[in-house]
Amino acid sequence: MRQSLFQSNAVKTLALRGLRGYFETPSAYVALFVFYLLAGYLFAFPLFLLGQASIKSLMDFAPLLLSFLIPALTMGLISEEIKSGTFETLATLPLQDWDIVLGKYLGFAGLALTAVGGLLFFPLALSALVQPQSGVDWGESLGILAGLAWLSLMYGAAGLFASSLTKNQIVAFVSSFMISFFFFVCGKFAGLLPGPLGGLAEFVGVDSHLSNMAKGVLDTRDLLYFLSVIAAFLYLTVERLQARRF
Amino acid sequence: MIRAVSLTKKFDSRVAVDHLDFEIPRGQVVGFLGPNGAGKTTTMRLLTAYLPPDEGRAELMGQDVSADPLSVRQRLGYLPENNPLYDDFELTDSLHYVAKLRGLNDPKERWERVKLVLRACGLKREIGKKVGELSKGYRQRLGLAQAIVHDPDVLILDEPTSGLDPNQVQEVRSLIRELRQEKTVLLSTHILPEVTATCDRVIIINSGRIVADGTPEQISGDVQNKNRLYIELKGPREAIETSFQGLEGATSVRPESQTGSGCSGFIIESEAGRDLREEVFNLASLKRWPIMAMRQEKLSLEEVFRKLTQSQ
Repeated sequence: MRQSLFQSNAVKTLALRGLRGYFETPSAYVALFVFYLLAGYLFAFPLFLLGQASIKSLMDFAPLLLSFLIPALTMGLISEEIKSGTFETLATLPLQDWDIVLGKYLGFAGLALTAVGGLLFFPLALSALVQPQSGVDWGESLGILAGLAWLSLMYGAAGLFASSLTKNQIVAFVSSFMISFFFFVCGKFAGLLPGPLGGLAEFVGVDSHLSNMAKGVLDTRDLLYFLSVIAAFLYLTVERLQARRF
Repeated sequence: MIRAVSLTKKFDSRVAVDHLDFEIPRGQVVGFLGPNGAGKTTTMRLLTAYLPPDEGRAELMGQDVSADPLSVRQRLGYLPENNPLYDDFELTDSLHYVAKLRGLNDPKERWERVKLVLRACGLKREIGKKVGELSKGYRQRLGLAQAIVHDPDVLILDEPTSGLDPNQVQEVRSLIRELRQEKTVLLSTHILPEVTATCDRVIIINSGRIVADGTPEQISGDVQNKNRLYIELKGPREAIETSFQGLEGATSVRPESQTGSGCSGFIIESEAGRDLREEVFNLASLKRWPIMAMRQEKLSLEEVFRKLTQSQ
């Protein structure tokens, strides 16, 4: 009998457990607190000082902020299981490595999407504050939030992979940050590089894809970019786990 | 039920498991012995399809574990080395979690099984506690409970009693003894009395190879190469010694210490497999020398273990 790539019941159990696990330790609370505090500052600063009724400024700083915060949420996902030995228990249950990886990833994704979803508060608050005739550009706002959501999911996949590389959560955090930062910074250098190399850097970096979304433009090429990077990291994580070399 | 066919695993250039062959029929409890680093854990990891073999194959319930690991694992319970558990779980949640991942999706059926193993493993008193708060003995029971929650046919337990105090060891052992009626069990240990207490058969490995396989008695007999009989009788010491020396099959008769009230002790040796107890009894009763004690002297499992694993 041909086996499917994953078993949905097992993935669901693992994902719910992962999501619940976040709230049983202070880590998720601390990460969310820092995230909203900084996001609130990034939102309120231009609003009150510059009179800018937009969440655009989030787009300028949030990618950098997420490259720190997402690794903090993903660093323990697999490394902790390897360190405590529970990975062996998981891997000898009737589960495939894809079940484990998807379950872990979706648990993280649940938290990340909730966190980004919480940012909806800002455009909602704006629409209550500003004059009705000037209004809030909802296309732009939702585009920005969608961009941040995709970015979190992408950084998360990289973080999951980094977490499978080592027993040490700190090492996982640093490697995850380095991968995320690479994608963050890559597009920024695109202008400095000659011809095709610049084009490549622009495509690999997140900036060009995010800026489309921030304009409220949903381009399938951007979605494809995020989806393929996510899929690639999940695949690498499965490959890494299958080697069983910890 | 459990079968290893030329099972081999290498880590870089080091051979951890070297062409192991054994077969364990249904309902047998087998002790897997060996010094640290002999390859016990690696063998268990190969049997549970945690690691792929480099050569040969492992079969559980007639199925190659690498070919279809998921369906094999449905019927397998495994307690990994050091009994890893999720400390942040509440005890029953931990069992539910593992049961769900084992495919017990029907809540009613799952509850029944969880209740059953909580009772079987004596964990009911600890309900409500976090796993991290449990004592080592209870943690071990929880590890076992997780391994049997889906009622598997085969149990593979990597050092189920390591690190426990003598009372806890006793408790876990009696739990395993209860399981033996319906399950095939392979357990690794380096606590030797455990084997005599719980196992029908012993497989001793050293440097990844089997050095002995059989019942504890057979193994000590094989290693000893001869039968030794200790006998204590009441009667004239010299006469007894000469009579026994004339006994067919006896290779040597050695007087042991003389005990009080006219009793003398002797060690009579014969070839391996030659049991002289009946002849000795007949001779003694013919001569009217009352037998005060008689026993077959065996090498202890410790001695056997040392002999087998140090000689290489």
